[in-house]
Amino acid sequence: MENSNNVEKLHTDLMTVNMGPQHPATHGVLRVEIKTDSEIVAEATPYLGYLHRCMEKHCEHLDYRGIIPFVDRMDYLASMNMEMGYSLAVEKMLGTEVPERAEYIRVLVSELQRVASHLMFFGTYAIDLGAFTPFLYAFQDREEILRLFEELSGARLLYNYIWIGGVWNDINDEQLRRIAKFCDKMEESLKKYHDLVGMNAIFIDRTKNVGVISEEMAYQYGATGPVLRGSGIDWDLRKKMPYGIYDKFDFDTVVGKGEMGTVGDCWDRYQVRVLEIFESLKIIRQVLDGIEEGPIIGKVPKIIKVPEGEIYVRTECPRGELGYHLTSDGGKNPYRLKVKSSCFTHTSMLGELGKGQMIADFVATIGSIDIVLGEVDR
Amino acid sequence: MSSSTEVNTNLYDDELTIGKWFKNIWTAIRSVTKGLGITFKYVYGVKPVTIEYPEVREELPANSRSRLFNDAENCISCYQCATACPVDCIYITAVRRDKEAPALKTKGGTPIKLDLLQYTIDTALCCYCGLCTTVCPTECLTHTTDYEFAQYTVDEMKYDYLADDVRAWRDRIVK
Amino acid sequence: MHKEIVEFLNKEVAGCDATTKEVEVGHASVVVNADSVKAVCFALRDSSDYQFNVLQVVSGVDFEDRIEVNYIIASFIKNIELILKVKLPKAGKDETVKVESVCDVWKSANFLERETYDMLGVEFTGHPDHRRILCPEDWEGFPLRKDYVVQEVYQGMEVNPASKVNQDDFDFLSKAKLDAANPKFVSGSWDGNVSPELSDALKRKMEGLESNKEK
Repeated sequence: MENSNNVEKLHTDLMTVNMGPQHPATHGVLRVEIKTDSEIVAEATPYLGYLHRCMEKHCEHLDYRGIIPFVDRMDYLASMNMEMGYSLAVEKMLGTEVPERAEYIRVLVSELQRVASHLMFFGTYAIDLGAFTPFLYAFQDREEILRLFEELSGARLLYNYIWIGGVWNDINDEQLRRIAKFCDKMEESLKKYHDLVGMNAIFIDRTKNVGVISEEMAYQYGATGPVLRGSGIDWDLRKKMPYGIYDKFDFDTVVGKGEMGTVGDCWDRYQVRVLEIFESLKIIRQVLDGIEEGPIIGKVPKIIKVPEGEIYVRTECPRGELGYHLTSDGGKNPYRLKVKSSCFTHTSMLGELGKGQMIADFVATIGSIDIVLGEVDR
Repeated sequence: MSSSTEVNTNLYDDELTIGKWFKNIWTAIRSVTKGLGITFKYVYGVKPVTIEYPEVREELPANSRSRLFNDAENCISCYQCATACPVDCIYITAVRRDKEAPALKTKGGTPIKLDLLQYTIDTALCCYCGLCTTVCPTECLTHTTDYEFAQYTVDEMKYDYLADDVRAWRDRIVK
Repeated sequence: MHKEIVEFLNKEVAGCDATTKEVEVGHASVVVNADSVKAVCFALRDSSDYQFNVLQVVSGVDFEDRIEVNYIIASFIKNIELILKVKLPKAGKDETVKVESVCDVWKSANFLERETYDMLGVEFTGHPDHRRILCPEDWEGFPLRKDYVVQEVYQGMEVNPASKVNQDDFDFLSKAKLDAANPKFVSGSWDGNVSPELSDALKRKMEGLESNKEK
């Protein structure tokens, strides 16, 4: 009797643990200050800004063409998609017409980039949960895409390929044939990978019912992209508000169904991303069928001066919706370019998601949201 | 303090029955064999995809954007590259040629009216975006496919394209 | 769409003074009174006609006399988006302007408003966690304001130290002009960032040349 009383008197404090900024599970330089009660997270506070370069200020001093290499560096795993959004914003303000072939190439490269980015997620998420081999498999396939991009644009990661009015270089028939071959191979190996990781009993146990984002919470926090679809909401910008020539293609929106546990858990988000690769491959095949000869860049003045006004353009990136809010005063450089980054809004969820989780589950949650710190901090 | 935190418990309150116990074993065996099967296929069925770097060097694609090279003989000092550069890493100074001096022309036939005094690119600042090479009217500024140019100090990363050692690359690069 | 929203807002929220303007390029926006922004947001979110359930961005723009805060909101149910704008008169350099926080309406406003505060110095009253987010806590000034000057010393460290700036290359043009017989024949790609002594010497030389010509 006396003993148990003493135990109750024992004072336990929450322990503060800094996860990051240099932590392999934070995918970059994110610091999350965790107050832990033994293994359980009582409070998680994300601290951002370790990769802050103030891109938006840089952009105010650059001409419109010179900004493209900078937007590349925001989400460095999906540079093509970042460029596409920016080019669309400027083109809409200028009223430039983009040639048909350029539009096809744009869709082609941004879908290939989506495949590459999701493969990267697949590999790193497996690493987060303790499996190393899938990472190497994913990189092997991603390498082929990067090699193709290198031949197209000259760089492996930061392409500067999609220009205002079109694209930089033309794609040749040999490359198109290679992409077709890659699609077949990718589809086959992806099924294998999904069996290896997604259907693995340990993986399912680690991810089901973990980090559940309900529908209400997803709306409240402004979640977009695979995170929103993982919560069971049928919303894909490419389908609902098509930009470019996405209305020409036939593909399905992948929605999390809660097959292994609750709707909106980590497994659902993983599933959405993997199945989205198949949808992207579907789009790529249609592009390969539909692409025709023609010019690749439209008529753009040598010195671009955007008329006065403001515009907000959203595009669907691998990580969610990317928005550019461009304010122009009619000069050679933008008056203000605000980037809406989906990773930034997703990071704000971590505080609420982390509460009550085990630390290892928290790592799984961060991984499943798939943030790129370059885009969070900009 | 400890009572204030709540654990997500619906993970653990499944009751374990004999049937479930056997089912769990079966799931574990099945997924492990499946995974190992794929792994072993890779061990014996796939050729290595990596290369052993210092011994084997990969040739980059022809339009790869790597170290910049300016062929100073063909440069007309138009400053377009310096204007297009988003990070301002190109420094050019030129002086007007004497009228009495012999007339010079580039390979393409453009008359050279300015003499270069300085043509420096700080490669450590360069972001390899390729905007400078696209605006070059005489195509003297090009991206090469050299990718090994590590140096001990940042100062050595600055290339003076009028210096003799850098000009010596010309034989290798300009065809 | 904008006109209907303006009508709806003027009816629903008293004193919000919603207005909109037709634009030729880009997107139109709805401007509302800064005091009633929270009520307006609640009205837009809860109205059955619009159901703006997602706050996409809070983006500030710094103009000479005012700071505009744009709330870009979207409805994932009705498939529409809207730029909601408030105009806040600017007080002075490094002085914050105030507007009510909309954190109670959408939780995503938490981080977005913190970013706007950090970058533009817009203070959101009633925000639950009002701190800087991207810059360090003790950073001075608001980087995205047009009159922002980077602080010279931060925690004993020199910001932009001279050793990391290519001063020799910047000065090359001025030196060449000083050495040349006729500086007007020398041209270069670089004008700014020249050391003060050099630019003074160059100025004197140019003045000397011009006075010679006059003689």
